[in-house]
Amino acid sequence: MKNTIRVERAILNITQQDLAEKIGVSRQTINAIESNKYVPSTVLALKMARLFKKNVDELFLLEETD
Amino acid sequence: MKNTLLLPHSYKRTGIIILLPALALGILVRFFDFTFAFLTLPNGIASIKNKNLHLSEQINLTDELALTGIITGLLFIAFAREKKEDEYIAHTRLESLKWAVLINYILLLVATWLVHGFAYIDVMMYNMLTVLIIFIIRFNYVLNNSKKSFD
Repeated sequence: MKNTIRVERAILNITQQDLAEKIGVSRQTINAIESNKYVPSTVLALKMARLFKKNVDELFLLEETD
Repeated sequence: MKNTLLLPHSYKRTGIIILLPALALGILVRFFDFTFAFLTLPNGIASIKNKNLHLSEQINLTDELALTGIITGLLFIAFAREKKEDEYIAHTRLESLKWAVLINYILLLVATWLVHGFAYIDVMMYNMLTVLIIFIIRFNYVLNNSKKSFD
């Protein structure tokens, strides 16, 4: 699975730290998600979608191997 | 995310403060036969505590004190909550614990075949602590790695 969090973050022009604070997680979590090391829970995915005003499937995309 | 069985974040520092002197004491006891004289049990109590002991042998509690400090310190460090204990941290915690148990037993197996006789007692002694030590190293390594910024 890949995601567009880094792009969305760039559009809003906020740092990893800002995003982490807005959705109540650590910066490590944002970093791990952006570098595809960690797949967030549904709750976290929904929080991000709400913040970026996007649908979850616009932020997180399945790949061939999934 | 709720994560039970964890201590407040401040215990990390408390753990280090307990661990360092206990570790120093442990090294003194282990390698330099250091003991605190006031921690030697009177003969009467010692013979009740261990009936197999010869009367002339005395029990000294310095090593008990050192090990208690080392284990308590390591437990505090390992089980202290991170500042922001979220789902990824919890995930990393579990993953690191899995790692630690696995590596611990691999090391024990290797040592079982390579170390014989009395030296094996030393292996058992260090092995009491390796799960916690490997866990702490691996957990903090992963968290530090994912702290490095891409901003």
